[in-house]
Amino acid sequence: MLVFAASDKGGTGRSVTSANLAYQRALTGDHVAYVDFDFGSPTAAAVFDVPSAMRGTEEQGLHSYLEGEVTEPAGIDIWRQTEHPVLRARQNQSGRLVLYPGDVGGGEFATGEDALERCIDLFLRLHGEFDLVVVDLSAGRSYAVDLVLAATAHPRMRNVPYRWLVFHRWTHQHVIAAAGLVHKENGIVRSGVDRGHDEETLQGNIRFVRAAVPDPESPLWSQVSHAQEAWMQACNKALRRLAADQRIGDSVVLGTVPLEPILQWREQLITEDDVLSTQIANKETLEALEEIARRLTDDSHWGRP
Amino acid sequence: MRPEDTAPRAVLDCGEVRTCLLPAGQALDSRAAAQLLRLRADERVLVSERPNVYGRSPDVLTGVDCPLPSSNGARVRAVGTVAARAALTEGRVLQTSAHFRVTATGPDHRRPWGHYLVRPAVVEPFGRLPRDAVAEGLLGGGRHGDLDVGLIAAGLQTRLLRHPLLDQRPPLRSRPTRLRWVAVPARDGDGPSLERFTLAEDELRTVRLRVPEGTASADVAALCDDLALHDWLLTTLVRILDGIRLGPGLPGPRRRPAAADDLPVVVGALRPAVDHLLHLWMPRARVPGHLAPLWDVLEDEPGFTRQWLALVQRVRDQLTLHAIPSARREVEPTP
Ligand SMILES: Nc1ncnc2c1ncn2[C@@H]1O[C@H](COP(=O)(O)OP(=O)(O)OP(=O)(O)O)[C@@H](O)[C@H]1O
Ligand SMILES: [Mg+2]
Repeated sequence: MLVFAASDKGGTGRSVTSANLAYQRALTGDHVAYVDFDFGSPTAAAVFDVPSAMRGTEEQGLHSYLEGEVTEPAGIDIWRQTEHPVLRARQNQSGRLVLYPGDVGGGEFATGEDALERCIDLFLRLHGEFDLVVVDLSAGRSYAVDLVLAATAHPRMRNVPYRWLVFHRWTHQHVIAAAGLVHKENGIVRSGVDRGHDEETLQGNIRFVRAAVPDPESPLWSQVSHAQEAWMQACNKALRRLAADQRIGDSVVLGTVPLEPILQWREQLITEDDVLSTQIANKETLEALEEIARRLTDDSHWGRP
Repeated sequence: MRPEDTAPRAVLDCGEVRTCLLPAGQALDSRAAAQLLRLRADERVLVSERPNVYGRSPDVLTGVDCPLPSSNGARVRAVGTVAARAALTEGRVLQTSAHFRVTATGPDHRRPWGHYLVRPAVVEPFGRLPRDAVAEGLLGGGRHGDLDVGLIAAGLQTRLLRHPLLDQRPPLRSRPTRLRWVAVPARDGDGPSLERFTLAEDELRTVRLRVPEGTASADVAALCDDLALHDWLLTTLVRILDGIRLGPGLPGPRRRPAAADDLPVVVGALRPAVDHLLHLWMPRARVPGHLAPLWDVLEDEPGFTRQWLALVQRVRDQLTLHAIPSARREVEPTP
């Protein structure tokens, strides 16, 4: 299955969360590919802790591949090449986890018929090799979004299941922006239909993930005053109403990732070690990531709500 | 006079084979296979049904004029043609391969293309060929711009994988492999020998052979196709068994909890191997008799068929075990 990670705004938590979802699925035994279509963003190398492995892939990344300069994009085997001590001790029975980076300094994509064909070749190849393929797209209505909409509408891809995750933060502006990315005139759904997608099917394949959401109940906020607490509760309620009005309400939310202090400091994977031994990360964060990872392939969370 | 008679002595054969599962829900029957492999309108596809169902495309030639890779940095320009073809075994495993033969010497200039076209799959160096350095360079992979047979094999693979006959529903997850090979002449009077078979990277194997003078390049290529096919089968089956959790219950802490009965998980993982892979093992099926002894080396060490049979036995045992109703399995002592 292909999973496209999109967001309207930058800095929503799309890359960090989707990388964590990929990691969680690999732990459960799936073979997982993480494909970085958000070119120019160095997040993936940091999250998976593979800075030196990335240096070997400068001219063989996804850019060069889509432009036809190399026949296969470079892949980085995370368990083997990471510098992260916990990840290196790859858990027994976990599946492969491979990062396909963009070219360093690559900028936007090559477009055109050839790039589309090569993009489809790549998706089909990865589909044959991996149980799950997570594709991180750049923020907003980018070429990358158009490219994958065109690819998934292509007859060669008719038997390859795909799903979309749209990430957004839990504020007024972010809710409206995320809804716009999907539902507005030049949003994902309309553009998809223009490229040959069936509207109902495409809509049924889109879910939202609320990232870095402060939970008023959490101990993080236990010191706040009554007035502050009441205000936060009211805000939360208003946001839920807004989201529902914008057609991105609870019925189309795949999950919510709580605000996680360590992710505010550092882009990283949340390991069981971080929660159980060093206790630097919150259990709720890990549980939320595990649950969203599970729901990616749980059909009861998908389809027309 | 036939062109070979005037050709200088051949000193090096080289090729690369790409092997992958055909991405189709059902194996292709002979007719569909012939359709897939019809790379040229003017030549027939070879289809044979004994000892297994096998189809092979006509050769397609690619003209090349570029440096040969070498291990010592020498850049020897070479001109000629590389032959590429595709083969499908039992409608299930797709192989594309490209190969060429290099002559010991060549003129210091490019001849008219007609000269090269009547010598398919022969490449002539400018001047003398530094054979050993080029053989090592070919196995190690060259620099950008050097002659790359792998690229030609990959291009053909991409072209075939785009064929509308394929529904892109592979019955099992698998990874493609590449096998790169060189063959240099055997010492006078010696038979063929396999000097090296290396698992270079995850997906890359390299093979170094010696073959008696006069051995046809296409015969060596056929041997290497056969080695690549069986290496792929073995690799794929090892990975399938590697990926499943055997034995009763006791899921690991982070494993996705299987359904109350874990039977479908193991059976689901092994069934496709039975349906699509186990019947494909047939070493030497397409190897010319005089090269068949090379297989014996691999049978002794590391013992390809021995390992295959052990894996097949494991698959069968597991399926038998899981065919027993789970109520009875539960009385087995758990470790
Ligand atoms: N649950 C969370 N709690 C707190 N901070 C988070 C959370 N998730 C992500 N972050 C942080 O938010 C920042 C932005 O995240 P990330 O880089 O994943 O966003 P993005 O949407 O991919 O941005 P861009 O569009 O720039 O690629 C990072 O510093 C990240 O560590
Ligand atoms: Mg990002």
